[in-house]
Amino acid sequence: MSEYRLETIRNQVVSGRRADALAEVEAALAEGLDAKRVMTEALIPAMNIVGQKYSSGEYFLPQMMIAARAMSEAMQRLGPHLAGAGYERKAKAVIGTVSGDFHDIGKNIVKMMMEGNGYEVVDLGVDVSPEAFIEAVRRESPHFVLLSALITLTMESMRGIVEALEQAGVREAVVIGVGGAPLTHKFAEEIRADFYAADAYGCVERCNQLLETAGAHR
Amino acid sequence: MTPKQRVMTALARGIPDRVPWMEGSVDESLQVKLMDGRRDFTHADLCRKLGMDAFGWSVPSGGAAKASQAAFAGPQVAKAAFYHPSSVTFDFTPPWIAEMGRDSKTGRLFVKKGLLTGRDKLHLFEEFLPDPHHPARYAAVAEWIARYREEFAVFARIRLGTASTIESMGLDVFSIMLYEDPDLVKQIHRRFSEWSAAVVEHLNAMDFDFYWAFDDIADTKASWIDPAMYEEFLKPHQLLVTRLMQRPWVYHSDGNISPVLEQVLSLGMSAIHPVQPSAMDIFDLKARYGQRVCIVGNIDLDYTLTRGTPEEVEREVKEKIERVGRGGGYIVSSANSLADYVKPENALAMARTIDQYGWYEKAGAPA
Repeated sequence: MSEYRLETIRNQVVSGRRADALAEVEAALAEGLDAKRVMTEALIPAMNIVGQKYSSGEYFLPQMMIAARAMSEAMQRLGPHLAGAGYERKAKAVIGTVSGDFHDIGKNIVKMMMEGNGYEVVDLGVDVSPEAFIEAVRRESPHFVLLSALITLTMESMRGIVEALEQAGVREAVVIGVGGAPLTHKFAEEIRADFYAADAYGCVERCNQLLETAGAHR
Repeated sequence: MTPKQRVMTALARGIPDRVPWMEGSVDESLQVKLMDGRRDFTHADLCRKLGMDAFGWSVPSGGAAKASQAAFAGPQVAKAAFYHPSSVTFDFTPPWIAEMGRDSKTGRLFVKKGLLTGRDKLHLFEEFLPDPHHPARYAAVAEWIARYREEFAVFARIRLGTASTIESMGLDVFSIMLYEDPDLVKQIHRRFSEWSAAVVEHLNAMDFDFYWAFDDIADTKASWIDPAMYEEFLKPHQLLVTRLMQRPWVYHSDGNISPVLEQVLSLGMSAIHPVQPSAMDIFDLKARYGQRVCIVGNIDLDYTLTRGTPEEVEREVKEKIERVGRGGGYIVSSANSLADYVKPENALAMARTIDQYGWYEKAGAPA
């Protein structure tokens, strides 16, 4: 019964049926199903499926967004039970578009995918200065710092942010990921970022891999 | 051929005397660098300097900065500026119904947040949208076309309503509402498209040579919506505008529009732009669709024009001319616009390369 319930929740999140997913979560909790199982065996796998469908071109932005919203609301419903069970998010990420860049569509998609996959994301917004990133790293102690730039002009701001984090002595405390239309692996290496992701799900996958490698769940 | 004849021939997928060059926008700070620090030049002066064949953008001598200041000052000021433009403009795009921000360094405006987030916000249309029938702007622009066109093609910058809808709702709200309140999305798109349709009816009576519709629907990965959604939510409203067009027209969307390319092409444009190299393969596009539509763009802005060398620009432009220009139906253009961070020496290299390699021989292949 519980396997069937979990599969149903998974399918409903994948297809973005928010109300149905919430009703199933309620039913699962009422039956005494462990909230952490609902999260780890239904919700997170559901967002992995959604991410894969988005990466492969089967899903477009709206399908991904309604699935992420169903996931987010289901997580909120589970929240009190998870807190009681000592659950913590996978890891924390700080995200923003770099100084001079006001294009936030890509950054918002990454944020949504990261949250849908169990990460806590602190969104610093657009046109974020190196100082604001340093302050956020000190304040939030994130595992990841994710930098977004859409135009060539602002790619150099990424270099400045990495250098500023180095100079502030907080560089080694974080993993820096970069993304955006004009970016490449080569550029990421050149500015000493830790990884480049070509799309939102690629970013989630890299974060997952890095966490597994490090074995660190903050 | 005159520059205008060259552009119009290529838009009709014919073979002009030389592969034309045109840009949807050229940042004024770059213009000044290209004109050796001068600010008193006309559109035609810049076109002549570069060998460019069309314009619809502003120049510093027209006082362009005032228009964006008006937009930032709020809807009422922006409406007045639309009716009585204080700067020379060929722009007929509606304002975003959005909270705007401004980059303190460049003064450039950007959308901070769309305001059309629900049915209770529909009254904002009246507050923001100027009367598309107000005669003053059309009279002023008609005079500017006559004064500045010389032998060049002149285009009007317009929208089909899609970008206005997405930016004014916010991409996230737009996406959710496709499921939660699909009629709201349709209603908003229809309002913007009806506004643009009214504008186009006036433009048809003017001396524009073609229209350039700017409606982003994609990022580098893919279009934001799938073909079925395009058919249901975008196309019926876009057709309200395109069916009225009595001039050739160019469709612009950034990013990879391949998933919905058939739907886009069914609108019947003369040309598509900008075919971003990081998102789409122009050679494949030419092979598959070159008989249906003129192709404009593809000179890389992510690297070549902005960080590359003049030699790299020459190589890329020459290759595009030779491979995409063969048989006509290609217009050289950057993969978005000539932004202020394009290296001036690279824009000049683009000009030299087009002049050196862009001339067609009788067989229809550039030399």
